[in-house]
Amino acid sequence: MVMNTSKSKLSREEMIDALKKFSENIIFVESAGLIIRVKKDRLREVARFVHDVLDAYFRTMMAVDERPINNTFAAYYVFGKDELGLNIIIETHTDPLGPEIPSISDLVPTADWYELEAWDLLGIRFTGRKLYRFILPDEWPEGLYPLRKDVDYNLRPVIRKTLKQPPIGPKVPVGPYHPALHEPEYFELFVEGERVVDVRYNGFHIHRGIEKLAESPRFTYQKVPFLAERICGICGFVHSVSYTMSIERVAKIDVPERAEYIRSIILEIERIHSHLLWLGVACHLLGYDAGFMHTWRIREKVMVLAELLTGSRKTYGINLVGGVRKDINKDKIQVAMNTLSSVKEELSKLVEVITHVPQIVKRASGTGILPKDDARKLSVVGPVARASGLNRDVRKDYPYAAYPHVSFKVPVYSEGDNLARILVRIDEVFESINIIEQLLDKIPQGPIFAEKIEVPEGKIGVGNVEAPRGEVIHITITGKGRPYRWRVRAPTYQNIPALKVMLKDAPLADAPLTIASIDPCFSCTDRIVVVDLKTGKAMKKNMEEIIRKKR
Amino acid sequence: MTLKKLLKPFKLLSIAKKAGVVTVLYPYQKPLITPEFRGKIVIDSTKCMGCGACANACPPNALLITESNEAVILNYFVGRCIFCGRCADVCPTGAISISNEFELATTNLDNLKTILVHRHRECVNCGRPFATGRMLEYVLRKVHMAKKYINECPDCRKNRFINIVSIRKR
Repeated sequence: MVMNTSKSKLSREEMIDALKKFSENIIFVESAGLIIRVKKDRLREVARFVHDVLDAYFRTMMAVDERPINNTFAAYYVFGKDELGLNIIIETHTDPLGPEIPSISDLVPTADWYELEAWDLLGIRFTGRKLYRFILPDEWPEGLYPLRKDVDYNLRPVIRKTLKQPPIGPKVPVGPYHPALHEPEYFELFVEGERVVDVRYNGFHIHRGIEKLAESPRFTYQKVPFLAERICGICGFVHSVSYTMSIERVAKIDVPERAEYIRSIILEIERIHSHLLWLGVACHLLGYDAGFMHTWRIREKVMVLAELLTGSRKTYGINLVGGVRKDINKDKIQVAMNTLSSVKEELSKLVEVITHVPQIVKRASGTGILPKDDARKLSVVGPVARASGLNRDVRKDYPYAAYPHVSFKVPVYSEGDNLARILVRIDEVFESINIIEQLLDKIPQGPIFAEKIEVPEGKIGVGNVEAPRGEVIHITITGKGRPYRWRVRAPTYQNIPALKVMLKDAPLADAPLTIASIDPCFSCTDRIVVVDLKTGKAMKKNMEEIIRKKR
Repeated sequence: MTLKKLLKPFKLLSIAKKAGVVTVLYPYQKPLITPEFRGKIVIDSTKCMGCGACANACPPNALLITESNEAVILNYFVGRCIFCGRCADVCPTGAISISNEFELATTNLDNLKTILVHRHRECVNCGRPFATGRMLEYVLRKVHMAKKYINECPDCRKNRFINIVSIRKR
């Protein structure tokens, strides 16, 4: 494994000693990591120390309504020290009436969205920053915070009548909420002539309240994996594995090795089909539809293979807390081996063609650059980080499932442009095929489901998986028969803020590809608004129109 | 060298020729599904005993069980089903099987619903309906001892037991 070169080379013990000066209350929890409990007025100090001095990545933040337990609101900031594979969790509590926590978004820029989300859903006020409605729709009533425990999961509130303000100056009318082509996400690009000056993102139009639903009485620990699988339309299995992992770690469930192997195989199959899908879409965006068709032709074989191994093309539904439901036999292994070798052969031929098509190489190289410093500052994940020279991969840094048993390379490119992101994904497909072949080769015999499953109450667990788009991290606090709080963080959540850097000062024509290059569950690029700052005129444009025009 | 590089994109022609036609004329030809494919579930009404294990395990509540005084009613609505097959896993009598069927579009909503009504058997003592006949047969198969009291409702059993104990005390 190639280690990251970083500022801080402290060992784990030295780190704990260094952290002792902030709080005596440090415990190591096997299922989650190092938990430091601090008073909220010292939060900023600790966050700065962990992020800057210890050089840990910001991974996620979970805000919880803990009033039924200890009469406080709590926030858990999860930082990850990749080199040690260790989570550093800063826990802080605040009063139940008028909860307030100092904001750390100026120290840790990634925390921006997390704070806005906690404000919207739990009503925790973050001081020292501007708070505005971010996730909930404008019509949601004021002062009703859906993730609080005293709000019913099936509550249908009376909608608030909002006066739609007519746009003034360069402000932009908010676009449609309904999905037009793929999924409803919405970017506003501010342009001067052909140059993009600023980007604003307006998302969460399809926030479905899945976290709240999982806490509702109709769910149990074993039902949530099926719900988790439906978070993403392309890489759902990563979410179900991530969830089950967090529970298994808390409950100390001994998952049989064979089940771990099967999970890893399916995870890699998912990565292959997701990357091929993306590669096809990237070709399509650059006007090379032949490449798009052929990538998807090859992808279809992988989809059929996934169906053979799991029973379904996409939402596999084979994962449960404690193991998997479907075993694979010798015949299936043989079919999988044959499919993979034919995919490998066909894809390597196709990739050679694609990477030599002038319109792709020219349009992709040197555009949408994300410098390494910015990538680090924004804690980006997945192929976006690896294309900007950060050697981050959950499979290596925080090993899980059967990945410790296989050897593979993590492709890292330092250019940080769209071409680098294309190449990282292409390399990863071949690496994934390699991983599956190794796993199929040495899959051990044995049961596929754990014998005893007992989940203790009130414990915290972290599960992480390297999804095709980057790191997925779930934190769960266990409750009675179902999670007390389940926090999901998908990779695109971490990567979208990086678009601001990538798009700035770039020509408008490159915007569609750059937005697509983070693989934002592709949908997200659906509609954008282009605002010409000189005339102050807003043109609502369909992404397809821009693509057609700029080809 | 540069010419070779320039000509590379044309290799796609040979790739395309080799691949040929990969699509099928779907409604006229058979769809490409593997034998492992999970589709609609089929409930065998001769095996189901109305225990409700499937409804308990069903993540999207496509299977619902309702119990009234006279009967147990099992409702299956395909519109909610996610085709995970958890019900087939947990069914103690193997009444649920997973089919390959996925062409479920219909103009009549009722075609998507399966309703199974299990009438309760009446207690031999008090005549109150208390459990489905098949459930009692299932219990009998598992516990032969139950033969003595299987046709009585739980209340009558309890009363009988209390009577026996109280007689002994005297």
